[in-house]
Amino acid sequence: MAHRKRIIAKLRNLVTNKRAEEDLAREVESHLTLLADDFKSRGMSPEEARLAARRAYGGVEQAKQAHRDERSLLWIEQTMQDLRYGLRTLSRSPGFTITAVLTLALGIGACTAIFSVVNAVLIRSLPYGDSSRLVYLYTPVLQFKLPAEVFGPAYADLHDLKQESRSFQDMTTFGQSVFSLASQGAAERVSAARVDGDFFRTFQSAPELGREISPDDNQLGHEKVAVISHALWQSMFGSATDVLHRSLLLDGKNYQIVGVMPQGFEYPHSTDLAYGESQYTTTQVWIPLALTPQQMADRDNSRGNAVGRLKPGVSIAQAQAEMAAIMTRLDKLHPQAHGWGAFVKNFVDSTVGHVRSLLWLLLGAVSFVLLIACGNAANLLLARAASRMRELGVRVALGAGRSRITRQLLTEALLIGVAAGAIGIGLAFSFLRLLPLLDPGNIPRLREASLDTRVLLFTLTISLLTSVLTGVFPALAVSRINLTDFLATTGIRSVVGAHTRVQSALIVVESALVVVLLASAGLFLRSYINVESVDTGFSQSTVTLNIGLDPRYSPPQAAEFFRSLFARLQALPGVETVGAVSSLPLSNSEDLRMFAVDGYPNQKSQLAEASWATPNYFSARIPLIAGRLFTADEKPGSQTIIINQSFARKYFAGRNPIGGRVSRQDDPTRWSTVVGVIGDVRLTSLEKPAEPQIYHPDMEFGGGYIAVRSSLPAKSLAATIRTILHSLDPNLAASDTQTMSELESEASAPRRFQTSLLTFFAAIALFLALVGLYGLMAYSVSRRTREVGIRIALGAQRTDVLLLILKKAASLLAVGLVSGQIAENPVDNGPRCLYVAWEVRGLDHKNRIRTLRHRYRFRRFSLVSAGTTQLQSCPSVLCSRSPA
Amino acid sequence: MPIQILQGTLDLMILRTLATMGPQHAYGIANRLQQVSEDALNLNQGTIYPALVRIEQHGWTRGSWGKTENNREAKYYTITRAGLKALKEETESWRQMAGVVEKLLAEEQ
Repeated sequence: MAHRKRIIAKLRNLVTNKRAEEDLAREVESHLTLLADDFKSRGMSPEEARLAARRAYGGVEQAKQAHRDERSLLWIEQTMQDLRYGLRTLSRSPGFTITAVLTLALGIGACTAIFSVVNAVLIRSLPYGDSSRLVYLYTPVLQFKLPAEVFGPAYADLHDLKQESRSFQDMTTFGQSVFSLASQGAAERVSAARVDGDFFRTFQSAPELGREISPDDNQLGHEKVAVISHALWQSMFGSATDVLHRSLLLDGKNYQIVGVMPQGFEYPHSTDLAYGESQYTTTQVWIPLALTPQQMADRDNSRGNAVGRLKPGVSIAQAQAEMAAIMTRLDKLHPQAHGWGAFVKNFVDSTVGHVRSLLWLLLGAVSFVLLIACGNAANLLLARAASRMRELGVRVALGAGRSRITRQLLTEALLIGVAAGAIGIGLAFSFLRLLPLLDPGNIPRLREASLDTRVLLFTLTISLLTSVLTGVFPALAVSRINLTDFLATTGIRSVVGAHTRVQSALIVVESALVVVLLASAGLFLRSYINVESVDTGFSQSTVTLNIGLDPRYSPPQAAEFFRSLFARLQALPGVETVGAVSSLPLSNSEDLRMFAVDGYPNQKSQLAEASWATPNYFSARIPLIAGRLFTADEKPGSQTIIINQSFARKYFAGRNPIGGRVSRQDDPTRWSTVVGVIGDVRLTSLEKPAEPQIYHPDMEFGGGYIAVRSSLPAKSLAATIRTILHSLDPNLAASDTQTMSELESEASAPRRFQTSLLTFFAAIALFLALVGLYGLMAYSVSRRTREVGIRIALGAQRTDVLLLILKKAASLLAVGLVSGQIAENPVDNGPRCLYVAWEVRGLDHKNRIRTLRHRYRFRRFSLVSAGTTQLQSCPSVLCSRSPA
Repeated sequence: MPIQILQGTLDLMILRTLATMGPQHAYGIANRLQQVSEDALNLNQGTIYPALVRIEQHGWTRGSWGKTENNREAKYYTITRAGLKALKEETESWRQMAGVVEKLLAEEQ
């Protein structure tokens, strides 16, 4: 109790210290006066009395100091002293301070930036209640050898699963649609989710305004209602509160708005579903799924997506076992294909699983950068401590405690670390501003990365850690000062040995870390170059856009619409060809179909990407290998097809494919004839080889991609196309127009993201390591000036001296590089998925890595050595010029 | 041979002095201690300052500026109620301690 009172009093003294000090001076003065009065009254002269009073009082300054020590919190008082002293010494050597602070700031900034991304993507919880209990449900058919995620449960299966399973608290199914949304005379494309009545309950997300979509809304005839996102509410309705009395025009149909979701709920995102609508990053509208009786009874078609919420305490394995048992029973009810299984997949893993290893790898890379920065700062502090040895030695000799001096040095490191942390936060902030430019599109919630409290705490922690890490070496060195030696030798030689050993070790570790970073960066870079150099199989300047006709159009109307659109486009000056296709290359959309080939041992599960294409589509520079292209009078239903090279290689091996016959597996009697073979086009990804493809000329008039090849600038062409579209139908929205090179750039964005970041960090690391090495060499050379002088005076050649110094640098580097090579091996064998691009060209994976790595090693080695040697020659030259 | 002050006993002595004599300044306290100890306690008068600030921070005394009989200004320390309570406790524990030590020493002889 009394103790607490004292602490409060001491704390208060921090503020009132100045007054307490004045008070004390006054009190001591009065004390001395009273004493002197007393002595005077005993008959002393005033002067004698004053002196006697002094004697009786004892040391005035000691008494005052004792008073101070007693009244204040000693450690705070001393820390303040240390801080003041530290600031003074640091500002006396600005060059040193700025180098140390900036070095650390780079490391801390990089760490903070990446951590803020990790925080947004991996640590911050998803806004769906307890998301660890959410799972995706699939009913994969193994014999098709397709990823399980392709098989969403059929509606009838899901209905039965919902009824029979006991593992789930809630279960929902939903599909995706893209609509033309009419707003103020213009139209835009929005991604919508068609959801059943359990959707919002399963995600434990409620609208901020109005109500969610209920099971009643899913009754046919009641389905014209919509829940909109916060973003759409803001952009389209200006956050008006009467939004619930308004409606949306989707594909020309009226939907009554019944609810507005809160900010942050835009599920499903393009990154959420492996085979979802990937063009639109977020969902803006939710409408009822409203199944027809036929759809509800459907077991044949794997449709939509299913998400379940496990009951508390139920594991994924238990749910999987239960679902598998139910599916075994349901499988017998399937009329056509059999073999429907069950697969329960962790929701969070599906969302972020694919980027987890990448993000941890990046965080690992930046922590290497930070370690290197720490090493540098520690080296700088060490060098400075050595030059301050005299000052520190004198302080020790005068009775300063070792702990007090250690504390002083740590305080200085702390000042540097905190300043670096502050600048680092600034760097991270600017990085986050640049992040959208790098957005690879496959990292969920990347743009939500921000400097929140957790990130700032992280930064504070690493700043303090780096301070301790950098401050501890000089502090240790100083605590080893041997006072007797110091006094005997003026204290320089005794500590130099220990110093340079630590410094050399730091350099070795730094260069090893740089090697590891450069190795990984080189590997990534090579993968990226591989991906970039893939021949995509189409002309880059082609402008593409997606057009979806809504159900207002009957098939003849739609055909008429496209005929007039093509005619108008073709008539534009500068336009070479206008084509249309159902699936655009690299748009990550494909339509897989089962087929049979005449004269080939057909498997039940053979699949090809099937698309329709207008005759002119291929002239967007997809090369014709054999046969002919479609012609303008190729009537729909003419039973002609064009296949790609992969198809020809696989199913017409050793035969002439032209004239060969292919049928759909569900209609084996209707044969189509192959009239042409074209080059391979990658539909889904740059990193996967092209699949067998079939093109048929039967345009499906619901919509598709228009591809226009012209000599016009892409921007103005896109604008012209929009005008034409608007004049044909003002309620129609085309998706964003893109050139093929933009599509291609989008497709390689994930790899560009990881590669550019890693290369950037490796470059920083290399730079820091060079600075560190240069600093150490410059320092040790400056220490050896006298020695060099003597050597030269004794007849040593300048080259000898240079060699002497370079030899030391080279040996340090050699040790570092070799240990780096050893440490790098596990990195190479690490997350293989991150550099799969080796297979792009069909080369033997392992061999390729090995050869590349060798090549890179040499390059790396020469790079590092060349750089450092160059830098080192500066101090060496300086040194060899020193007057003998 | 003047004796050294036992750790912690100075606080007790100052509290006792203030309780007996009423408000006193540092000089008065130091004088009183010297008188009572008949100069056996040889302390520089400055030595009592840490003790003064300590007991003031405990809330056992309150300091205020005033005038002496000779019209000199001085800081007077007044014992508080908490101070009186602390004095009682400290006295008790000192007595016990002293008793134990005394007893031990007597037995040894």
